[in-house]
Amino acid sequence: MSDLLRRASAILRKDLLTELRTRQGISAMLSFAALVLFLFSFAIGPNTALLGQLAGGLIWVAIIFTGTLSLSRAFQTEELAGGIRLLRAYPGDPRAILLGKLAGNLVLLSILEILLFPAAGILFQVDFLPHLGPLLLVAALGTFGFSIVGTFFSALTVHARARELLLPLLLFPALIPVVLGAVGATDEILKGDPLGRLAGWVQLLASYDVILFVVCLWIFPVILEE
Amino acid sequence: MVSDVAPAVRVEGLTKRFGRRWALRGVDFQTPPSTVVALLGANGTGKTTLLRVLATLLRPTGGTAEVLGADVARSPDAIRRSTALMTPLGHAYDELTGVENLVFAARMCDRPAGRDGLLELLGAVGLEASADLPVRSYSTGMRKRLELARIRLIAPRVVLLDEPFTSLDGAGVELVQDEIGRWRSEGATVLIASHLVSEATRHADRTVRLREGKIVEEARP
Repeated sequence: MSDLLRRASAILRKDLLTELRTRQGISAMLSFAALVLFLFSFAIGPNTALLGQLAGGLIWVAIIFTGTLSLSRAFQTEELAGGIRLLRAYPGDPRAILLGKLAGNLVLLSILEILLFPAAGILFQVDFLPHLGPLLLVAALGTFGFSIVGTFFSALTVHARARELLLPLLLFPALIPVVLGAVGATDEILKGDPLGRLAGWVQLLASYDVILFVVCLWIFPVILEE
Repeated sequence: MVSDVAPAVRVEGLTKRFGRRWALRGVDFQTPPSTVVALLGANGTGKTTLLRVLATLLRPTGGTAEVLGADVARSPDAIRRSTALMTPLGHAYDELTGVENLVFAARMCDRPAGRDGLLELLGAVGLEASADLPVRSYSTGMRKRLELARIRLIAPRVVLLDEPFTSLDGAGVELVQDEIGRWRSEGATVLIASHLVSEATRHADRTVRLREGKIVEEARP
């Protein structure tokens, strides 16, 4: 295993072990996600046709709001342990920190989505099962895009005084292509892709993911400097 | 690339500014390998900032700082492979046990992470009975002992200790002193930043006193 991946995997293991012991991140995320879904459901009312039409957007808004909770925790554990700079003091490529934290966020968000999609299916009366394959692809691409940019901005704002405010302010505009792509693709999948627009949304998501990944990996060492 | 023949630490005209406040105002000193240097001075005189610059955690505002011949700004990774910094509160994750914290450090530094070896390290600092307890249950003194085990694991050539004696009982202070003596006998250079003069100077070959970010006195104790 390369030095970069070995160190990224050490950070991932450490973060997952911490999460397993405390379960603070996942329980906060699950409660918040449930709350958001119920609020959407109550706000829209018993109009099941409308709920079905909006399901794609509502699910992704719930994922992004809830995922933001996990993002801010990713680097909080480092601050409690003395600061991210002490983690940076270990030798090797600093991108291992980004990759390790990114992998941790992906694991937590995947757990969230495994529970969120069926719950949303029940609440919004939408059957996701016939579309499982394409939905998994879109969920993977959307989650990756959200996680990479979220992990990056979370590291960037870790020392900011108003980081809870600053993180969403930076994050949400950067997520617009991810949200558009993920919501558009999910809607098309649920409608059966009558206009053949699914491939375009998936291409947008995949391209933006690649661009984000390359740019964030490239810039990350600079943002860890003082 | 670090050098075997260069001074362990060489600092010339080093300055560091935080906003409008100058923490270091032109510090010059060097020390050969295998020596112990006590950095003395009251709180806020620049001792911690100097150690953090040498540990590559802070970039100098001006001047140069080299560790084992490698420049802190140009070759930080080479320095990170040969130094260890002990901060007053240490670098440990509360939810992990003592041994799990060492496993993490071992993986980050590419050192052997076998449980038996790590337990031996923890035993050497008196933490064998607490090896499998979460660090959140450790006292400040136990956290410092864990830091000593982590530095043993890293086996650095330059050890930077920031207030290593505070919050320690008598046995803890003696343990740190023993470690300092052992590091020097193994060829490492140790820089101790402390306001506890008698403890910091016990093994010191030189003392460097800082005031308002400048060296005001250098002496051999």
